[in-house]
Formats: sequence, structure tokens, C-alpha cells
Amino acid sequence: MIWVSWRQHRGQAIACLALLAALAVYAVIEGSSMRTAFSNDGLVGTCLARTQGTGCENGVGAFMGEFGSAVNIAFWSVCLIIPGLIGVLVGGSLIARELEYGTWRLAWSQTVPRTRWLAVKLALVTGGLIVLGAAITAVIMWYRAPMDRLTGRLQHNIFDYEGLVPTAYILCAFGFAVLAGLLIRRSIPAMVAAFVPWLAIRLVVEFVLRPRFLAPVTGPMSARCQQPSVGCGSGISSVPQATGHIGDWVLSMNPGNLVTYQPADRFWPFQCIEAGIFVALTATALGATIWLLHRRAAWTALSPAHRARPRAGLRSGRPRGGAVGGDGAVSPRRGRSRWLSRRDESERD
Amino acid sequence: MAEHNAEGSVPALRTDRLGRRYGRMWALRDCTIEVPAGAVAALVGPNGAGKTTLLEMIIGLLEPTEGQVAVFGETSRAGTAQALARVGYVAQDHPLYRDFTVADMFHLGRAMNPRWDQQVAAARVDALGIPLRRKVRHLSGGQRAQVSLTMALAKRAPLLVLDEPVSSLDPVARLEFMRDVMASAADADLTFLISSHVVSELERFCDWLIVLASGHVQLAGPADDLLAVHRLLTVPRAVPDAELPGTAIHRTDSDRHSTVLVRTDPVQLAVQGHAGWQADPVSFEELVMGYLQRPSAATTGNPAPAAQRPAASAKAVTR
Repeated sequence: MIWVSWRQHRGQAIACLALLAALAVYAVIEGSSMRTAFSNDGLVGTCLARTQGTGCENGVGAFMGEFGSAVNIAFWSVCLIIPGLIGVLVGGSLIARELEYGTWRLAWSQTVPRTRWLAVKLALVTGGLIVLGAAITAVIMWYRAPMDRLTGRLQHNIFDYEGLVPTAYILCAFGFAVLAGLLIRRSIPAMVAAFVPWLAIRLVVEFVLRPRFLAPVTGPMSARCQQPSVGCGSGISSVPQATGHIGDWVLSMNPGNLVTYQPADRFWPFQCIEAGIFVALTATALGATIWLLHRRAAWTALSPAHRARPRAGLRSGRPRGGAVGGDGAVSPRRGRSRWLSRRDESERD
Repeated sequence: MAEHNAEGSVPALRTDRLGRRYGRMWALRDCTIEVPAGAVAALVGPNGAGKTTLLEMIIGLLEPTEGQVAVFGETSRAGTAQALARVGYVAQDHPLYRDFTVADMFHLGRAMNPRWDQQVAAARVDALGIPLRRKVRHLSGGQRAQVSLTMALAKRAPLLVLDEPVSSLDPVARLEFMRDVMASAADADLTFLISSHVVSELERFCDWLIVLASGHVQLAGPADDLLAVHRLLTVPRAVPDAELPGTAIHRTDSDRHSTVLVRTDPVQLAVQGHAGWQADPVSFEELVMGYLQRPSAATTGNPAPAAQRPAASAKAVTR
């Protein structure tokens, strides 16, 4: 079964490796220039760590101007759908392709019960996706490391690329697509049907739930930010944040110089919560798929061949006549010899 | 567990009041058939008769709503490894993975079947001239059918179920395919159950006949026995069915004469026959067509009455 799964998903595995390689090349080139700029802008020394960026505004400004531009942010925002695309592309065809091409009749009539067939496939492909997700995340985290020292890792567009969540996003889209494939029985519609709810859940979690994973903290704005001439506040390009600390995630700036925010040290708890949500969704979808496939034989038909069709007449191309055996009981053995002897006759002719 | 029939041998296949319902509609009901070991059985019926439903329950791809399937006397839950191991299956349209090579397909067979016989598989495609390294998508329809059959044979299951194996093939490929089936049936002592909606193609190859229509078995038994007890009578149109020697199955009226398929035997025919009546032996096809056009077969095409149909009237004319 392992070989079968590998053989069927070989092409996808190669495509994923190609994607990873392209990303790595990009990350090494861009990441190196980012590292060079980081030191050239004077951000390597003590000013950043000790003063939370207030001692090196010029360097921060130059660096963020180059790498934190609106264009860059927009690009990375669009790239947020990539985990979803990987997930649905791999998952959408896993069952739906078998149903589309009728190969389920082949796959499930070998001496492997179909739930085992599915379990082995899911285990291997899920494992592959976890490795892929971890590798992509590692590459991106290495690439972004200098940037993260200025922005922290809790804000939108950064949090989503680091730690555990990218892998969890891929798995969730995969799980949805596998389930949709079983229900819809067609690869492309299954991919679309899985991607839409994935994106919706992803946005709801990011913008509605994530700010509330843990109760936000409200505190005074930093003294520096209270000066009207200094444009510090919230968002990626604000270094430091209005709290005066790099890495805090400012949710809102309230009247009376109060700031509501999530402290920077909540990165890992937040990662665990969000990854937990998506892994739980994945497990639910895959569990439902296995259960449905197991039950499917009992409650409904898998192919249109089972549905009632209008009665069609018998096709028949043979003219009337021909010899008719009429000599009483004939055992199956004799019946076969009847055929064989007939063939012998025709060969003799 | 094993049930023996009258002759004391365990039938290769026995279904007992097998039924399958989709929602409120019965695709198949009260299906009791028996195929003796070593037989090549034809399962004949029009599209939508329930052939595929029956076959998929026999293989274990589908769970029966009622009744049970025994393969060589053993019943087991649909879809378990034990149930799957006993039946080889060639599905309709011969599904294979298009981007696999023939060798890959065999590798799959070996990986998924503990009793896989690689030698049989390799020797067979070699004899047929199908290159192992060719991709499935580059094979002809006949070659795909042969690869499918090879996989089912190499699985080394004692019962092979073939669903419309030749309907997508041209006449030459049909003949070759059926000859291969017959040869392997004789060589390896296998039992075949072959479904088709093309009657004529099975006639020369099958020694057991099961006619299925509208979800019910219409006729089942050894083909030669069934042919022996049916006659095509040509009688004056005025003669009612009741006066005929035997049971009228299907009647075709022309201006002055009627042609009636009757179930009878030579003695009855001799006693009750009339001098002016002509009694011809029936062909396989006339027999099957007669049963499929029988009023009771035709009226059950509607789902609602089929579901309420009492068991007694559904009972097929069995041996």
C-alpha cells in the first residue's frame, strides 16, 4: 500500500519539491540582501535591543522603506492563499479522482479493505504535507529573521508565515478537499468547494478570533509616541509599536493615551491555539471522510451506475436460428466441453 | 457455515434473498441464485436491471440491504479482507490507472493482494504481446480489458466476477477476450460470473444462465436445461394461452398466427400438442428476450410497485 500511495502521489511530491526549491532560491537571494542591508543600516548593534528602536530611527526607516513597502506587504498578503492552494490541490484528487475515473472499483476490490486503503494513503500524504509545511516555514522564517527583529512576529502577515500555523493551514485545506472529493466525486469542484470555506474560516480566525485568543492588555502609550511629532502607532511599519516595545501587537489606540494590545511574548501560545484550531478541523474532516467511506457501502451508491435508469432494450445482433442443445441435463463441465468442441469444429473447417 | 446443495458440493456462489435499496427504491430484491463451482455463468439483463448492484454486493463493494452472499459456502461482511480475497473482479470499462505502466499495475496488484501470482500476470501479458513498460493510457481497449482480466486472474481468487467485460470491445476483441476467459476457466478450475446486456455474445461461452430484469431474477439454471424445456410454438391466433402445452412466457401476435414462447417438456408437448402447431427449439437469445418481455418483468419497471411487490410473485422461474 505504501508503494501504491507513493506511485499515485509521486507527481504531486515532485511538484511540491520544485515549489520548495524555487522558494528556497528566492529566500536565499532576498534573505542575503536583507541581511546585508540590516547590518549596513546599523541595526546589528546594541541600539535595537536596548532602546527598542528609538536610538536608530534612521536605520529602521531605511530598512523598512526597502523591505516593508506597501508592495511587499501586498505581495505577502496574496501569498497567504498558497497553503490553501497546496492543500486543496493535493486533497481534491485523492478520492475524487478514483470516483471520477471509476478506478475505485479497481482499488477497493483488491484484498485491502477500503478504509485501510484510505487510512494508509491519508497517513502518508498527511506526513508528506507536514514535512513540506515545516520546510516551507523554516525557509520563510530564515528569510524573514532580520525583519522579525523589527516587527515582532505577532502581527498579521507575519504570524501567518511562522511557527506552526502554515502547516496547519495546509493540512486543513487538504482535509476539507479530501472530504469534498468524497462527497462531490469530482476533483476540480471539490477543490473549489474546499477552498472557499477554508478561506472563510482562515479570515474569521485571523481577524475575529485571533485578537481574542487571550484577553488583550490595555496600558499607557509610550512616552515617545505621545509626542505629536513622532508617528508611531500600530501596523507593521511602526517600530516600535505604540506600547514602546518591538513585537507587541497593537489592536487599538484609545482616548486618554491608552493602548489595547497583545504582548509580544504571546507568540507561541497564539501559534498553538491557532494551529490547534486548524488541526482539529483537519482531524474532523478526515475522520468524517473515513467514517463516510466505511459507511458508504451501507447508505448510498458510489457511482451513477447504481441510480435507476430508464429501461433500455436488450441489444442483440444475432440472427435467429442456430443449433439448440436439447438433450436434457447438462453439467457445467459438459457445457464447457460443448463450447470447446464447437471451437474444434470451427478450426477443422 | 458451508451449505451443500443436492449433489453435495459447495456452490461457488450462493445468494440468499439478496436485496439492495437506494432510498425508497429497490435496485434488486429477493435475489436467490446459485452458481456451481466450475461454471461459466451469464448474468443477462437490460441496463438498470440491477446487474451491477448484484455484482458489487457479491464482490463486497456494496453492502446488501437484506439477505446474504456466500462464496464457496462462506459468508462474511462486505468489504473485509476475507471477503475481498475470494473474488476477483473486472469492473465495467476496465478501470486502470492511466499514468501507470502495465508493470506498475502489476506492482499494485502484488502490493494489494497477498496471493498475487506475478508469474501468471507476466506470462499472460507476454503471450498477448502487451509490453510491460507501456503506459495504460497508450493501450487499446482490448489490451486494457486483457490487463484487467490478467489482474483478476493473478489475484488467484476462486470466483471471478466480470461486469460487462466485452461491451466496450470490437467483435474480434470480444471473441479473443471470451476465449481467454474460457481457457483460464478450464485450466485453473475457476468459476466465472459474467454480466452482459448483449445476449448473443455470451451464448457460446456460458453454461449457466441467470436472467435479471427490474431488480428480480426471471430465470436461472443450467443453460442447456433451460433451452431443453422451452419451445417456440406457432399457433393460430385464436388459441388462448391456457390451451397451450405448458406455461406461456411471452406471446407475439401477427395477423393469423401467434408465436409463443412456452415452458414445456417433450412429453407434455406430445400429449397436448396439436397437429397443425409448429414447435421449434429456442435459441439462447429468444429465451432471454422472451423472459425479459414477459408482462411481469415489464410491469415491475416502476419503482413503487416493485417495492411493494410480494415475494411470491417475484420468485423467478428457477430450476
